[in-house]
Amino acid sequence: MADNDKERLLDHSYDGIQEYDNPLPTWWKLIFYATILVVPLYMWDPLGIGLGPGREVAYQQDLAAFAAAHPQNTGPTLNDEQFVALSKDSAKVGEGKALFTTTCVACHRPDGGGLIGPNLTDDFWIHGGKPTDIHKTINEGVLAKGMPNWGKMLKPEQVDVLTAFVISIHGSNPVNPKAPDGVQATPDSATAPVVPAAVKKGK
Amino acid sequence: MNARLDSFSYDDDIVRKFLWATMIWGLVGFLVGLIIAIQLPFPQFNFAPYLTFGRLRPLHTNAVIFAFAGNAWFTGAYYSSQRLLKTRMWSDGLSKFHFWGWQAIIVAAALTLPLGFTQSKEYAELEWPIDIAIAVVWVAFAINFFVTLAKRRERHIYVAIWFYIASIITVAILHIFNNLSVPAGPLKSYSIYAGVQDAFMQWWYGHNAVAFFLTTPFLGLMYYFMPKAADRPVFSYKLSILHFWTLVFLYIWAGPHHLHYTALPEWASTLGMLFSVMLWMPSWGGMVNGLLTLRGAWHKVTEDPILKFFVVAVTAYGMSTFEGPMLSVKSVNALSHYTDWIIAHVHTGALGWNGFLTFGMVYWLAPRLFQTEIYSKKLVDLHFWVATFGILLYVVAIYSAGATQGLMWRAFDETGRLQYPDFVETVMRLMPMYWVRIAGGTLYIVGMILGIYNIYKTWATRPAAYAVPVVQAAPLEKAFHDDPHAPAGAGLWARFTSAAWHRKWERMPLFFSVVAAVAVIVASLFEIIPTFLIKSNVPTIASVKPYSPLELAGRDIYQREGCFNCHSQMIRPFRYETERYGEYSKPGESVYDHPFLWGSRRIGPDLAREGGKFPDLWHVRHMYSPREITQKSIMPAYPKLQENVIDFDGIQKNVDAMAMLGVPYGDAINRAPQMARDQAKLIAAGIEATGGPKGLENKEIVALVSYLQRLGRDLKNATAVTAPQPAVQPVPPVAMAAPGGGNR
Repeated sequence: MADNDKERLLDHSYDGIQEYDNPLPTWWKLIFYATILVVPLYMWDPLGIGLGPGREVAYQQDLAAFAAAHPQNTGPTLNDEQFVALSKDSAKVGEGKALFTTTCVACHRPDGGGLIGPNLTDDFWIHGGKPTDIHKTINEGVLAKGMPNWGKMLKPEQVDVLTAFVISIHGSNPVNPKAPDGVQATPDSATAPVVPAAVKKGK
Repeated sequence: MNARLDSFSYDDDIVRKFLWATMIWGLVGFLVGLIIAIQLPFPQFNFAPYLTFGRLRPLHTNAVIFAFAGNAWFTGAYYSSQRLLKTRMWSDGLSKFHFWGWQAIIVAAALTLPLGFTQSKEYAELEWPIDIAIAVVWVAFAINFFVTLAKRRERHIYVAIWFYIASIITVAILHIFNNLSVPAGPLKSYSIYAGVQDAFMQWWYGHNAVAFFLTTPFLGLMYYFMPKAADRPVFSYKLSILHFWTLVFLYIWAGPHHLHYTALPEWASTLGMLFSVMLWMPSWGGMVNGLLTLRGAWHKVTEDPILKFFVVAVTAYGMSTFEGPMLSVKSVNALSHYTDWIIAHVHTGALGWNGFLTFGMVYWLAPRLFQTEIYSKKLVDLHFWVATFGILLYVVAIYSAGATQGLMWRAFDETGRLQYPDFVETVMRLMPMYWVRIAGGTLYIVGMILGIYNIYKTWATRPAAYAVPVVQAAPLEKAFHDDPHAPAGAGLWARFTSAAWHRKWERMPLFFSVVAAVAVIVASLFEIIPTFLIKSNVPTIASVKPYSPLELAGRDIYQREGCFNCHSQMIRPFRYETERYGEYSKPGESVYDHPFLWGSRRIGPDLAREGGKFPDLWHVRHMYSPREITQKSIMPAYPKLQENVIDFDGIQKNVDAMAMLGVPYGDAINRAPQMARDQAKLIAAGIEATGGPKGLENKEIVALVSYLQRLGRDLKNATAVTAPQPAVQPVPPVAMAAPGGGNR
């Protein structure tokens, strides 16, 4: 039954099954030895792709490299005036509105009139009514009050356009809003007007 | 030849029983798989409380591994062992006990898992009474098998039997040691291990369940049914020897590769990886021996659908055992861990290797067992092609999903921030691939239905009474000869390579079994002993305290709902993980986690630092209706948690069980229900004050929220101690759950 002279059938049979006395394939042996050789190569790491300094040191090195490449991570990139300007850019406000619809409406209602979170369209602000305050509230959250830290979940540009959208709906007077809460940020206060009248007209 | 011949018959009735069980449970297991595949892109398909993804996923894995593949192994083992050993099974009674016991266990699993009774360790979810039943049935099987082995009429044992021996012994060891737990009720228990050690034991078990339940038994089946179906001798006896022993010895070390970059000590992770890499060729030994056995018979493969099944099975085995070592390389694993890549990998193995080997075997057996012709060879061929196409669709889609997910999680933009900080974005991207998987899985199931129909029609044409052929064989003779035998006067090396020594072992099955057991146990102890004894593996963190009684109750709900099936609690030391989730997880953080809940998959985001990320009310609303909070979320809704009442008085025995395991519960041992009520009242009041629903103070949702808000906070408290402290420690309202309340 052997295919050729080189193959020897062993002299046994199990329920009719026989076995050849073939040697191990050479390629099989070579790869097996090579995988054993991986052990010292990985541990000594002469090629620099093995164990190295270990996972925790590697992580710290990665953090340091990142810090070196990105020296400063500053706060808001825009100032109050720039945010107000952004809130007049209908394309950006549109992006903000889309994000607001997927991210914020569960607590603030689609029209911003407030539900669990406060009304965002009136003159009262719990955590400050300046555009940069609004940005900060979104970006860092107010966990104690239930506002998540969106800066962790959104990109900086997204937080910017959300801020712009919130500014843009100020004074939109939605029906049946949540009762005012917080400190009134009046336009003439020293802490800067929330929204210039022009924006309201533009809406 | 001995003059005296024994006359006896084989017990094929038990084989027929197992064959039917294989096909029926296979269909059930695949259907549950289809349901959970649909639940991912279509979360409305979750029907809380019993039929959610978290409860059905373990049912799917258990059904496919233990019901489908298990029964398939037993089918083939009972058929082949009797013939390879030339004897009937020692005890028909024990065979029947094994069959009915195993089916009863499967039914118990199918009932308890959807009901939420789970130990929450993967493939070891079944609760302690069922675990005991498994052990009893297994011992019955083992006794029957080994006594049959002792009463054999074949001097030497064939390679298929070696694989059965190693599998039976190792599965028993794995099952017993991973499931050790302290019961806290008729269907509730806590693992005796915690955190890092529990994780280690679980994946020592989990990996070797794959090895010794899905790989070695099926190699045994392959060594019998493939040469039979092809009518060809096995390619190389020596390869059988070498790949058997290397496989048995090396496999057991590889478990830690499931825990790369977790809080498991790095030395264990490194060992797991290196041994996995070495496993490549031992695994491929089986493939080589299978495929090369077909030399000179390839023309038959084109005609015989049974051989087609075998060829694809062995090829799938080769692919997944190449991929396994590759995935165990740490840097590859960094990308693949927690993603669908692993799901694709196991389905190449389960659908291709286990499934196709089973189908080939079943079609080969059916005419022999039912003593008739197969009903339709064309249908067998159709089954083959439909299922092959199904596998391709499935794995291609899910490999792409895995790679997509892994790459999106780690992507940074040019400013160095996460490219996709919103987790749900990385989930939405997978939806088209999830639908393709559903199509692929459906095709595979269509193939299975064709198979069952074909087997049914074959069975329908069976004779009125099965013939019971009488077999004659001589009892073991005193005289025998070993082939190969040691060459006379040869050197040590020549004697070794002649394999004559092994030929001797093959006529000493008891010795052989002991050596196999020692190989497995010694390899295990090399990893287990240091994991348990070296203190520096788990540096203590002083601020880590036990869960309060209410938090423990919440953790039990988290387990019951199977949250760990979709959410990990283990942040790896990568910048893209710590950016997204917070500081990476430390070994000392989970010292009170009986069992550990690190998870192995991120269908949803990691929760290791969930505490304090969102307010209590957010969680209440999110559990009630996830898509109102996150529009594209695919999480099931759990509205019942706002109605179900906490069994406050029942918490006491759970706390007591934990205390028995050495968790320092202090006076909570006596007043757990009261402490839980007090904490629940505080949280419920906070929820109401922030505008949430009233009257939650005795509802399960509050317990769950208290647990979620606790996650990862102990480490934050530790860093707070080193930071300059204000005169009065501000207590954020979200943390009304008093951490470590149990110690006061």
